[in-house]
Amino acid sequence: MGKVIVITSGKGGVGKTTSTANLGTALAMIGKTVVMVDADIGLRNLDVVMGLESRVVYTSMDVIEKRCDLDKALVKDRRVENLMLLAASQRNRKDDIKPEQMREVCEKLKQAFDFVLVDSPAGIEQGFHNAAAGAEEAVIITTPDVSAIRDADRIIGLLQHQGIESISLVLNRLSPTLVKKRDMISKNDILDILNIDLLGVVPEDTGVIVSTNRGVPLVHNDGSPGADAYMRIARRMTGQRIPIPEMRDENFFSNLLNWFSRNK
Amino acid sequence: MNFRSIFTRKSKSSNIATQRLQLVLTQDRFEVGEDSMKKLQFELTEVLAKYFEFTMNSVKMSLKREGNSYVLMADFPYNQSNKLR
Ligand SMILES: Nc1ncnc2c1ncn2[C@@H]1O[C@H](COP(=O)(O)OP(=O)(O)O)[C@@H](O)[C@H]1O
Ligand SMILES: [Mg+2]
Repeated sequence: MGKVIVITSGKGGVGKTTSTANLGTALAMIGKTVVMVDADIGLRNLDVVMGLESRVVYTSMDVIEKRCDLDKALVKDRRVENLMLLAASQRNRKDDIKPEQMREVCEKLKQAFDFVLVDSPAGIEQGFHNAAAGAEEAVIITTPDVSAIRDADRIIGLLQHQGIESISLVLNRLSPTLVKKRDMISKNDILDILNIDLLGVVPEDTGVIVSTNRGVPLVHNDGSPGADAYMRIARRMTGQRIPIPEMRDENFFSNLLNWFSRNK
Repeated sequence: MNFRSIFTRKSKSSNIATQRLQLVLTQDRFEVGEDSMKKLQFELTEVLAKYFEFTMNSVKMSLKREGNSYVLMADFPYNQSNKLR
């Protein structure tokens, strides 16, 4: 019996879909059986980020309205074993799927998969409650800026209210150079403010854009800082104890300054 | 003169961001506006000022998340000079 994890955020555009695609792929690469559910109805894009859009025939709406069986609606990723996608309907509205229906789909999926990852709409949008309905765990994605963190705080409150006990945080698009220059809120300040567990930190990585253009998740392309970060997060999700490394600053000039101030 | 400080002195926008966040989140969590927060802070300080000396604007208040609930934190900077009256 697997677990259902909703990948969510307060603010939109912080990397939920990117994270779902990469964590789903990474979990499958380390041998887990995974299904990713796109619950961002009407704004579906998990299929595109995964590069599976041309193979989507049925959506979760077809399953719920009994036009097709659940297993027939799942699109198989051919690049890695045991990775499936359940796409969202593009024609429907966010509240067309009721929480009970979402719960039923997730309940069935977790009988067959180790991980059911639900890509959710942003928290202030309609449909967030439906997306989270079937989940027992939540991963909150935030970027290190005031408005995203503020919205993340709201969502943590809502999820706790909904009875989700295990809530952890992924800090996305952290720029080591800016943190070092103290122009970006640091990981520790964010954790201190939100006071929830940190699942991982993903650096700003231009590779994300290239990988989205190609429809090939970043983790297929090992060696990039973003891919490494997602692989480590996936391992943590399977219960492995992997420390969260302090970020290296790639900025040569600032390293040089550090060296100077240490060696005065 | 610290060599590094020539380059980094001005860029501390992260501190400003952290402070703004703390303030805005405390208001969000209390579900009240800045006025009520200030009033509460003022009245709390008034009570404590009967016993200690404080400067009003050195006091900080926040709501901190602890598991599923919040804890009200109020920091009243205390040092040996503001003895119990
Ligand atoms: N770590 C990252 N580095 C660089 N760009 C990123 C990163 N994460 C996300 N992005 C970009 O941010 C945008 C929003 O990401 P997306 O995953 O669609 O967010 P959401 O699903 O939360 O709306 C996309 O253009 C994506 O390429
Ligand atoms: Mg998305």
